[in-house]
Amino acid sequence: MAGTGKAHLRPGDDVLVTVEDLVVEFPVGRGRTVKAVSGISFDIRSGETLGLVGESGCGKSTSGRAIIQLPRPTSGSVTFRGVDLADLSDEEIRQRRTHIQMIFQDPISSLNPRRTVGDIVAEPLRVWGPSDASEQEAIVDRMLDSVGVDPDTARDKRPHEFSGGQCQRISIARSLVMLTNRGNLHRSRRRSRSSSRSRGRGRGRLLICDEPVSSLDVSVQAQILNLLEDLKAGYGLTMMFIAHDLAVVKNISDRVAVMYLGKLCEVADPDTLYAEAAHPYTDLLLGSVPEPDPTVEIDEGLIEDGELPSPSNPPSGCRFRTRCERVTDLCSSEEPQMRAVGDDHFVACHHPLAAVAG
Amino acid sequence: MTVPLLSVADLRVGFATQRGLLRAVDGVSFDLAEGQTLGIVGESGSGKSVTAKTLMNLLPSYAQVEGSVTFDARDVMAMAAQGERHFWGVEMTMVFQDPMTSLNPVKKVGEQVAESLRVHLKRSRKEAREESVDLLQQVGIPEPKKRLGQYPHELSGGLRQRVVIAMSLACSPRLLIADEPTTALDVTVQKHILDLLDELREERGMAMILITHDLGVVKGRADQIMVMYAGRTMEQADTATLFSEMRHPYTEALLETIPRIDMASHTRLVPIPGNPPDAVDLGPGCPFAQRCRYCSAACLPDQPDLKQYDHGRVCACHTPVGTEAGVAAHVANRESGVTPAGLDMGTFTPVEEKA
Repeated sequence: MAGTGKAHLRPGDDVLVTVEDLVVEFPVGRGRTVKAVSGISFDIRSGETLGLVGESGCGKSTSGRAIIQLPRPTSGSVTFRGVDLADLSDEEIRQRRTHIQMIFQDPISSLNPRRTVGDIVAEPLRVWGPSDASEQEAIVDRMLDSVGVDPDTARDKRPHEFSGGQCQRISIARSLVMLTNRGNLHRSRRRSRSSSRSRGRGRGRLLICDEPVSSLDVSVQAQILNLLEDLKAGYGLTMMFIAHDLAVVKNISDRVAVMYLGKLCEVADPDTLYAEAAHPYTDLLLGSVPEPDPTVEIDEGLIEDGELPSPSNPPSGCRFRTRCERVTDLCSSEEPQMRAVGDDHFVACHHPLAAVAG
Repeated sequence: MTVPLLSVADLRVGFATQRGLLRAVDGVSFDLAEGQTLGIVGESGSGKSVTAKTLMNLLPSYAQVEGSVTFDARDVMAMAAQGERHFWGVEMTMVFQDPMTSLNPVKKVGEQVAESLRVHLKRSRKEAREESVDLLQQVGIPEPKKRLGQYPHELSGGLRQRVVIAMSLACSPRLLIADEPTTALDVTVQKHILDLLDELREERGMAMILITHDLGVVKGRADQIMVMYAGRTMEQADTATLFSEMRHPYTEALLETIPRIDMASHTRLVPIPGNPPDAVDLGPGCPFAQRCRYCSAACLPDQPDLKQYDHGRVCACHTPVGTEAGVAAHVANRESGVTPAGLDMGTFTPVEEKA
């Protein structure tokens, strides 16, 4: 599993976010650290949805949070609209976050139970928006309406009065307030004067979705996925979609990156990735999905029985080698680099599955 | 079919709440033969876990339980009332969703696996330990001797769930109830656990109830599938029959709404509009009527009973999918653009007419 390779990064002005050599370490006591993310690179074009999949503990959420500098990465760069966020001061980051919003897995705990839905959605406007209360209210109503929540009945209620699916809609509305209304927003007095560093490049806004449907019932999951697709088309959003469910990620993404133990394994568009997985790990993930289609026989052929190694003491070379059936000596001595195996299809493996010359 | 191992008849479970009686399970009946697997599928709140807990005698004392449960000609409800405790844990055992909370964090794995052997089968310390090693081996735990001395937090989620399975198998149960056994686990581990359960079931000839919200999990593993919604059985059939053709609109909707790995990227999903109903205030009529595209005028005032269909399938619906009534209702709803329950048919992308 290489992370150091950057063959899959794309040049061009339409790239909204470029993450290079991202490393995030957390202290684990006694002066030791664990690398949750150990040097990954990826980019997201304006209007694109990047799906990030992997097992729990692989660092996918940490990567998403590192983009909004929560916490700031240990090393590596996050270039958003041509500016490296790592170089910015905390105040500048705070301003930048009006263009980058995040929604979380548990919709109920991400809404303040003591406040009304109207207040929750209006909060970003109180900081950044027009000072006129009726103008704020109009924006809140419009946003609630666009996520399918009736503003008149919802405004004065509190989160506990809503189901999980509706709470997720409300938390999407809250992030959209920032992402879709920038044109209407006045420059608040609280905003500092020094923020005109990056005008030119890209006007896209990024919505980071961290497992937004995994705590929802299956019947509600499709509603939220369709809603996100509609909002993305309607408002021209760029999305990063983090999830462990491969079918969900395939459905919503334009490009998918597979992550394992803090490194990237494979990057491709979803249809290619799922049809011609080149990395043994991608193949393993795909083979593990329970298939509700009765015509598909359950694959009995998987021999993998390994547990995820600890990220505090990862295997040398390719990180997947302890669970891989194609492992050779090369895999333990040398870390594979990201390379192209097809049109916009990249893999970090010494022995990729597809018989394509690398 | 011979006498079933487990027979549940008209089970009803209610909880008194401030707003009134919450009907968690509302008239569920099924039979399970020795060595067979029943899959119970439903969303959260559909009553599937409460059904399992009723069987396991794990409901709180304030639960109002009616109906009968018979296990091998014995009345399970009566045993529960008499405080008979050597039945649960010996003949009928359960594996829970979250292996972290179903293991005691301050006791070693070995003590926990040996506990039921010591209590129920009166094994000596030494015998229990030897059998525990054996059990851990059977569930595929490497270095079982070493694991006995470890605490749950030292094990990964998949290993913990294997320990829980080993515990539940200790006294060779005849029925194992697995309530969402893999929901808290990664997909790669999920497959191993499900395969393991299936192998153990076959080896030991025990019966299994596999509870899940994912139709993909039970497919290929269950002999029978029961689909629950709002505490009621919507449809029940053997797995092949159910998947070859669905009669209940809810079963069909449940399968269509899940993104599948073989769908092209950006395929528009068919959502189930609205939310699951409030179990305190179900009202008359079919509980799924408000969300159903096959809804007819009869569905609103009149709760459908379970009726027999092809291949022993039962289904509770006035307008089953693929029948004359179902097709007629769907066509009528499409023409008027709105169902009798007031649901806008525009919510659904056009589906193929099934005739």
